[in-house]
Amino acid sequence: MALLEVSGLTRHFGGVRAVTDLSFTVAEGEILGLIGPNGAGKTTAFNLIAGYLRPMAGRIVFAGRDLVGLKPHAVTKRGIARTFQIVKPFRKLDVLENVVLGAFLRRRGRREAEAEARLVLDKVGLGAKIGVPAADLTLAEQKRLEIARALATRPRLLLLDEPMGGLNPTEIDQASLLVQRLREDGITIVWVEHVLKAIMKVSHRVVVIHHGEKIADATPEAVVQDPAVIAAYLGGARDGHAAA
Amino acid sequence: MTRGLVALAIVALFAVPWLVTNTFFMHLAIMVLMWTALGAAWNLLGGFAGQVSFGHAAFLGVGAYATMIFHLKLGLAPWYGLVLGGVIGALVSLPIGFICFRLRGPYFSLATLAVAEIIRIIAINWETLTDGPVGMLITTLPELRVLGQPVDWESKTPFYVMIATIVVAVIGATWAITRLRFGAYLLAIREDPDSAEAVGIDTVRTNVTALALSAFFTALTGGFYAIYFRYIDPDAVFSIALSVEMVFIAVVGGLATAAGPLIGAVFLVTLAEVFRERFQVWHLIFYGLFMMLTIRYLPEGIWGRIGLLLGRRG
Amino acid sequence: METLIQSLVSGVLTGSLYAMIGVGLTVVFGVMRIINMAHGDLVMLGMYGAFWAHVGARVDPFLSIVVWMPLMFLFGMAIHRFLLRKVVLGGELNTLLYTAGLSLFIANLALFVWTGDYRTIKLSYAVMPLRPFDIAVPIPLAISFGLAIVITVALYWLLARTDMGRAIRATSQDAEAAALMGVNVERTATITFGLGTALAGGAGVLLAPSLYLYPTVGEILVAKCFVIVVLGGLGSVPGAIAGGILLGIIESLGAVYVSVAYKDLIGFVIFLLVLLLRPAGLFGVGKS
Repeated sequence: MALLEVSGLTRHFGGVRAVTDLSFTVAEGEILGLIGPNGAGKTTAFNLIAGYLRPMAGRIVFAGRDLVGLKPHAVTKRGIARTFQIVKPFRKLDVLENVVLGAFLRRRGRREAEAEARLVLDKVGLGAKIGVPAADLTLAEQKRLEIARALATRPRLLLLDEPMGGLNPTEIDQASLLVQRLREDGITIVWVEHVLKAIMKVSHRVVVIHHGEKIADATPEAVVQDPAVIAAYLGGARDGHAAA
Repeated sequence: MTRGLVALAIVALFAVPWLVTNTFFMHLAIMVLMWTALGAAWNLLGGFAGQVSFGHAAFLGVGAYATMIFHLKLGLAPWYGLVLGGVIGALVSLPIGFICFRLRGPYFSLATLAVAEIIRIIAINWETLTDGPVGMLITTLPELRVLGQPVDWESKTPFYVMIATIVVAVIGATWAITRLRFGAYLLAIREDPDSAEAVGIDTVRTNVTALALSAFFTALTGGFYAIYFRYIDPDAVFSIALSVEMVFIAVVGGLATAAGPLIGAVFLVTLAEVFRERFQVWHLIFYGLFMMLTIRYLPEGIWGRIGLLLGRRG
Repeated sequence: METLIQSLVSGVLTGSLYAMIGVGLTVVFGVMRIINMAHGDLVMLGMYGAFWAHVGARVDPFLSIVVWMPLMFLFGMAIHRFLLRKVVLGGELNTLLYTAGLSLFIANLALFVWTGDYRTIKLSYAVMPLRPFDIAVPIPLAISFGLAIVITVALYWLLARTDMGRAIRATSQDAEAAALMGVNVERTATITFGLGTALAGGAGVLLAPSLYLYPTVGEILVAKCFVIVVLGGLGSVPGAIAGGILLGIIESLGAVYVSVAYKDLIGFVIFLLVLLLRPAGLFGVGKS
């Protein structure tokens, strides 16, 4: 049985069809890549699943229960954690406290939450930065911090929104390693990314959306051969130029 | 050691009336403590959760009026009315919270300002309940015996003890909150509401809880205001200026610190009371000036800066 | 019917001045994303300007606007340049608190200098109202209305036709993009704040012959400005004009058909409803 089953998901903003009739499933332990040209509706899809936006139609069934209508915090309690495309750390709080806030979800006491946060921080490679205010980290570190914060809530499903956006090649390699390590830990991940090379290497399966609709859903090898996907990316690039 | 210092401070606080006999200084001390309580109550919401309310006079007024109305219309002794007033203040804050917390940042601030104005206008016009713009007056406080001794209402001491107790309660509550998960959650909301939701924090419920606590202590202090001054009217206890002064005490003392409001109140209220002797409005000119200087040069407040210098967190 | 027309007319007349105050607040919000809590006190300064011109220099208060608006413009630029510029970087809540401090400072300094006495301006030519079609139109309000229209049209021309106006509109839409296109955002902000202050002061001058003057009048006016700009959508100039006139009408109809006591309540209730239900303003053009 699928851990997450999205069906017929639709959300428009005014006249803009951000997501239309989107359906896909995620199996337990799977890493699903979600790709598409700029403005394809990937982040909107995340916001719908995580409860930040309400769908106009469709169902989001997670572990057998419909999530539609739940507030973001309730979605997190059910076991879905997310990161943000534009990082949103608790800027004035230090690295440890950022992750402790995630750990508090399952552990009420400060001592237990701190212990858990330290473990997670070691795992993502921020163990040495514990006392630094989040605002003073580099972008790559802030992206890691968001992953750590999400992991500390002990999710069954992790939504990563462009964990490599804006990073340099070295940082991208490090981030790629981190996601692979998470994959070895058996966490289920849905991952939105622009860096196609990285996502193709790590994902089990890739869903491509374009103008808010799904145009492909297959293994990475099959997706790169798909004529519809190639057309979308080339067309998307042309659209991009016209807009700029 | 900290525990010892705190115990010493509390003993010293309650020893003041037996050491100071000068009425002006007693009045000054009572005013400092009253504004400490108000600033600390505001700080629970404005400092920790970062929800800047410009409408806290609403709760002060509700507490003051509840105490007066229970006493004058139902014959309930004002010290019971004061506690009941606190509870009513908290209850009134619940619908306000559910409305205003749908807004963020400055929009929240404007909404609280509007709500406070609405309550003020109702208080002026609902004459059967509030006696309208003429206000309400307690001519003599009823007799009260503590440990068999009648309380002397002509002396400042009983009022001092009352407000000192309220201050210990608010600062104690603030200190406790900083140690709990709840306090950490408030700071998370202040830093980033979206991320707070992402780690599973019910931001609306957490904010509403903080508001209710804040409103409870503000209304409690409002009840004290009614007992101490024995006279209230809508423009005195519901004014925007009162709300703004609470904000200033907390900001100048140090947002999101337990002791900040005490420092802010000692500083600003002493200034106010000293100037009040000579000329009424000078203290407000200085309030405005200190507010501007604080935001510009000392955004963490006096106590916050001391904390930073001592290298402590919070 | 007659009462209805009468209150509509006085609503529109007062509303035109509300609109002018609201426009000042909203252009500043558009460019700097700050809510200026001291805006009402700037209006108050304009009112006293007119009063002293009239009493001190025997100049007609309406005529004095040619002096006060440029002076308020410079004053506003100075406030931004020397006080607000650095504070704005600290975020919108800091600015909100800072301008609240500024408001208290200006209002109470005025209270100290001018005392709390209520003052009025008595104009020899404005004892009896005009009576076109049997509708009473107070002469000072009629003059104010005319001047407010002239000033608003001039402002539109400035925003639409001049380089500075284009810079203000560009910054208002997207400060980063405007900076990339070569707009000096800092300078635009200073000028915009001057403009907002001049509009507030000008509206104060025009209001002075029709209202009681006292130093803390800004407290009431600032609350009204928020209602106006939220009705129209924060950041939108046409929205603020519509919002101002709407509030004028709401107040004057409310005073006749609901009650004088609760007329201010109506404004605030509508304000809350708009904030909650249509945060971009009634006309959906503002920025939230």
